[in-house]
Amino acid sequence: MGGYGDVQLLRDDGLRLDGRKLDEMRPVSIEAGILPAADGSAMVTHGLNVAVAAVYGPMEAHPRKIQRQDRAVIDVRYNMAPFSTSDRIRPGFNRRSREISKVTAEALESVVLVERYPRSKIRVEIEILAAEAGTRCAGLTAAAVALADAGIPMRDLIVGVASGKVEGIVVLDLDKAEDNYGQADLPVGILPNTGEIAFLQMDGDLSPDEYNLAMEYNFKAAAEIHEIMVDALKRRYEGGEN
Amino acid sequence: MSNGQNGAELRLVTPGMAIGPSAGMRVGSGALAQNDTIIATRLGWVKQLNNTVSVDPINSAYMPRSGDLIVATVAEVRNNLWFMNINGPFQGLLPMSLAPWKVEFGAARQHMGIGDVVLARVQEVDECHNVVLTMKGVGLRRLNQGSVHSIPVTHIERLRGEGNATIQRLRDACDCRIIVGENGKVWVDGDADGIAWARQAIDLVHTSGHKKTFEADMSALEKNAPNNGDA
Amino acid sequence: MVELVPTLLRQELARLAEDDLRLDGRGQWEGRDVDLQIDCLYNAEGSAKVVMGKTIVYAGVKFELRTPWPDRPSQGSLMCGAELRPVAHRKYEPGPPSPQSIELGRVVDRGIRESGCIDMESLCIVPGEKVWGVMIDIHVLSDGGNVFDACGLAAIAALRTAVVPAERFDVGEDYTLKVKGTPIMASFTRVGGRYIYDPSEEEELGGDERIHITLGDEGHLHSLQKGLRGVFTPAEFAEIFDVAHQRCAELRKLVATQEGN
Repeated sequence: MGGYGDVQLLRDDGLRLDGRKLDEMRPVSIEAGILPAADGSAMVTHGLNVAVAAVYGPMEAHPRKIQRQDRAVIDVRYNMAPFSTSDRIRPGFNRRSREISKVTAEALESVVLVERYPRSKIRVEIEILAAEAGTRCAGLTAAAVALADAGIPMRDLIVGVASGKVEGIVVLDLDKAEDNYGQADLPVGILPNTGEIAFLQMDGDLSPDEYNLAMEYNFKAAAEIHEIMVDALKRRYEGGEN
Repeated sequence: MSNGQNGAELRLVTPGMAIGPSAGMRVGSGALAQNDTIIATRLGWVKQLNNTVSVDPINSAYMPRSGDLIVATVAEVRNNLWFMNINGPFQGLLPMSLAPWKVEFGAARQHMGIGDVVLARVQEVDECHNVVLTMKGVGLRRLNQGSVHSIPVTHIERLRGEGNATIQRLRDACDCRIIVGENGKVWVDGDADGIAWARQAIDLVHTSGHKKTFEADMSALEKNAPNNGDA
Repeated sequence: MVELVPTLLRQELARLAEDDLRLDGRGQWEGRDVDLQIDCLYNAEGSAKVVMGKTIVYAGVKFELRTPWPDRPSQGSLMCGAELRPVAHRKYEPGPPSPQSIELGRVVDRGIRESGCIDMESLCIVPGEKVWGVMIDIHVLSDGGNVFDACGLAAIAALRTAVVPAERFDVGEDYTLKVKGTPIMASFTRVGGRYIYDPSEEEELGGDERIHITLGDEGHLHSLQKGLRGVFTPAEFAEIFDVAHQRCAELRKLVATQEGN
């Protein structure tokens, strides 16, 4: 967290700079099956963030040393396009994207029925085309929709959402200014049907009460985003009657 | 009486979604029991047959089962065996002893090389996905001509139609030989017009086979079929 | 990962070529419909998205301040890079940029650079001290064949929408980058023995060598590239060169139409 503290992030009327209420998320839209070459895919637009995910597989796991005899491995690559941020990012894997890829893979392995595909690998490619705080959450949501679109068996979807704290107040879904100058960020991956949590990170400063409120906001937003995910998956097959 | 395939509105479900109580029900594929509830594990249509609840997936990778008739491509040749691309997660293995010819050790390459397309059957699959193929059997052979098309494995039933009615309709309309592999590879052989038409028809099944407009679209396409006059 | 080429596919492509036909019913010199969107990425200073059949490509332009090269103190710089990301096809594997990606980026780069559409002197802020570096990054999201033309088109269209972010760098007011001309690439692949324009994924898989031609507004050549194993005759080149003029002019018109909207 930047935590500069001298930037005003809440207006006098109690609303946020972009006019949102404290527990209001940015608009989210989702489209499934947007990449014709992939086995499953999705695009998530969350505020100004644009995340695209593609799924390939299951396929034989290579190199052999990553192979697991009893289950599939999920191989995630989270990557920010060079033009996705205001300062250009040098192409290639950096420490940040490696870490996000790792915890995203582990979150997805918690819902995918990986034991169905021994010795296999499921490739999940997450590309961030535009970033405005919250890309790991948008990427996680996109990955979950893409996996479902690919027909990969899962015991639930995962929704990526975040809450945080600005000027001492807990708010849902930080935008860029709030992320830069706020005091805490709590991104999570929520299983919308079971209410379990498969992805958790946090940085900044939160009291136990603030944590509880932030989590409450996250669960509320996850339910909203889940509906949009389900709608995106169903819309792809609308007009269907088997 | 609860045959989900007819009548009542079909339900499209997403992974994690509750389908109904698990009491007294058996859980089929694409679903699992969690506490007292049956939940979907795949995106697809709910099917309830007798007392079994399952989800017919909309999309799926090809998972070979023994007995499957498939269209495979040679990916690698060794002295005494071939590795085949079967459009699934793992390659299939065709040992010399299950080839349709008497093959001398070291002569595998003289019979089939990389890129050759064959009609084969899945002999055996173990739990670790090791797949053994056979080409011993009626009709199993190297395919020396024709064209191979792709269709998602979840659309194969639709391409065949009830009692193979749809696929026979296609064969008649374009005057082609058509063999549908369980692995989503469809072999078509005939003249150029016939193959081109079959390609369009297979694509139509793929893109709109699940839609209510399918029958009308298919009839329209049939009007342009090479064999339209004779039908 | 090297893709398997089914012998039946090559056989079928050869048979179709004899009758002057293509798998998807197109004519020999017919391209797929091209959908071009400009100004579609929020954080890029210029951007474009191109969809051609199953091929989807994004290009984004970014600027940075840098010190000029000592031998060219009053010139800015232009760099264009492409990445065939593993998202785009199962055949692409993760890792450092592949030779394919590098070739793709460099062929697009040459076409734009050598057309002279960017005046490098105009990118100078303080001679010898501060110039603009312009970077075009091309992101291939889906490879459904002929990524070269899609990348070339996305790159020039993105560049033409670019706004120099001078305010953010404290060097004056933002202004639209001056771009003179619209260099366009046309690509041909030998399929079933003869050349065709705008190959699909299957045609590339079952085809042979490819030729990329980038033409400027006046019809002058600015970049040529022959890729993959195979040879061609001067007569064959003369034929595709003619076609390239027509196709490039059409795509140049498409860019102008989009900019007019």
